[in-house]
Amino acid sequence: MFAFTVARRYLTSNPVQTALLVAGVALGVTVFVFITALIQGLAMFLTVQVTANSAHVSLEPATRIARVIAIPQVDTEAVALVSTVQRRQIREWRSVVELVRAQPGVTVISPQISGSAFLLKGEAVEPVAVTGIDPDGLDAISPISSKVVSGSAVLGGDGLLIGKRLADDLGLSAGQPVLLRTDRGGERLLTVRGLYATGVASLDERVAFISLQTARPLFSLDEGVTNIEVKLQEPRNARVLASFLGEATGLRATSWQEKNLSLEDGLTAQGQTGTLIQTFSLISIIVGVASALVLSAQRRRSEIGIMRAFGVSRSFVATVFLLQGLLIGLIGALLGCASGYGLCVWLAGVTKADGTPALPIAPEQGGYVAAVVLTTLGAILASLAPARAAASVDPLVAIQQ
Amino acid sequence: MTAVVDARGIEMVFRNGEEQTPVLKGVDLRLEPGELVALLGASGSGKSTLLSILGLLLRPSAGRLSLASESVDDLSEARRAEFRNQRLGFVFQFHHLLPDFTAVENVAFPAAAPAGGISAAMRRRARELLARVGLADRMDFRASRLSGGQKQRVAIARALMNRPVLVVADEPTGNLDRASADQVLALMREVNQQDQATFLICTHDDHVARQCGRRVILEDGRIQDPASQGERGSDGLD
Repeated sequence: MFAFTVARRYLTSNPVQTALLVAGVALGVTVFVFITALIQGLAMFLTVQVTANSAHVSLEPATRIARVIAIPQVDTEAVALVSTVQRRQIREWRSVVELVRAQPGVTVISPQISGSAFLLKGEAVEPVAVTGIDPDGLDAISPISSKVVSGSAVLGGDGLLIGKRLADDLGLSAGQPVLLRTDRGGERLLTVRGLYATGVASLDERVAFISLQTARPLFSLDEGVTNIEVKLQEPRNARVLASFLGEATGLRATSWQEKNLSLEDGLTAQGQTGTLIQTFSLISIIVGVASALVLSAQRRRSEIGIMRAFGVSRSFVATVFLLQGLLIGLIGALLGCASGYGLCVWLAGVTKADGTPALPIAPEQGGYVAAVVLTTLGAILASLAPARAAASVDPLVAIQQ
Repeated sequence: MTAVVDARGIEMVFRNGEEQTPVLKGVDLRLEPGELVALLGASGSGKSTLLSILGLLLRPSAGRLSLASESVDDLSEARRAEFRNQRLGFVFQFHHLLPDFTAVENVAFPAAAPAGGISAAMRRRARELLARVGLADRMDFRASRLSGGQKQRVAIARALMNRPVLVVADEPTGNLDRASADQVLALMREVNQQDQATFLICTHDDHVARQCGRRVILEDGRIQDPASQGERGSDGLD
């Protein structure tokens, strides 16, 4: 393609100017890649922080809603009373578990009995959120076993696991007995099997783990469970799965995103800020390329004029300038991606004193394909005006100048 | 014999707002194949305008024009460009070479652009033309490295690349010293005689005009053709 040869020759005729132009594009792409990797990395870091110790989807019995009943005959309305005699529970939890297990991407299903209780040790009393779980699935939702700092993670029939801070408040240590009194009036003397320290205050100060079988009589639940906790391979799919399970089971299904709306809002705002910065990077690339090519078209008016005089078509002239934009954009984008990736890898390797990364940057999430495609398209877009200007050069006027 | 140029009643009026400036007022001109014609006239007489019209770079305000037996009055811009490319050659006062291309590439350019590249045949013809204009040892030099006379010779070779029926030259020696100008003129005469290509050379230089076979004078917007009155150049034709 001869237009390509001409475009390449034009670019290489002034190597310094072309190098500066490509470097400008590459710099813009580096910023694009860096911002994308940083925002994606930050979102992944925050998501992991939030979801590491909690379920991605929680299934609970539907909320009791008092219904208004119209009675037309007497022209009045009545409110149907909601029974509060029975404990809210998921009676058919085994079939629900099967349904959840059949869904793609589900990694963990944990049926639980949760409720409120007090731990009593002598005169000391502390409120706790009790979680009754399958002892084999202790780490299903939150990695407790690995966080045990005293005693063991074996629950057994009368065992209890509590956080180190809660134990300190009660003056308890592993192996000691403690009285658990639930909000259902159940009461049992249990043995503290182990103390954990996850670093999550809500877990370490207010949660006690017992086995599902131990929890049943304490919370007056012979058959059912109060909630089913689910974890997914990909946490961001939680909202879709929750919606499906809610409709399929009639239970109240809540995704982790709904429980953490402020985080969701924060991530959205962060994403929008990133998009804005990326947009400005692209605009600066477009303006840079356009201005350089406009100057080139102006400088080469007489050359373009003579080409047009001996019959070279407008489309050929336009193609030469579009190809210059394409080459500048493509080469700049590839160089920018390489330098952006290098920068991200280097920053990802910088650690704080405790060995954790100083920046939660994800080099593999730099949006490289988008960067190359958008930059190349942007550069072609930027060359449209110069290409039009060059193609519309009147040969007579250009030659006479 | 079929005329290469058959212009009848060519008029050109330039408009600038309400102001109208008539430059050509009914030019009649007929050029036969193989002629070497000098177009003379005072500055501002409209020589370049007429040349631009005959070279299809400008549309006349009125009149009929046929080139190589084809009426070109109603051709579209794209078709006029195609016609220029295939049937006409141009030499200007300034060479207008592409400085980033070699002499061979410059010469081959008019053929290469529509074809999408320089073929071996194009390169061969470009080399032949350059050898003919005495630049066999400068073929692969970039245009920016050639002297003024050499550049103009490359421009002549470029004008001949597509074997044009008519070469229009606007003050082709205007920027050259006498020695270079004589070389360029000798070359044009040689090509004219060997290839039977018709040349129309616009000049105000009598020395140039005397070496042409025929002189036409543009005066008051009309052609005063000494040939019709028996006036011929100094090449033995008179």
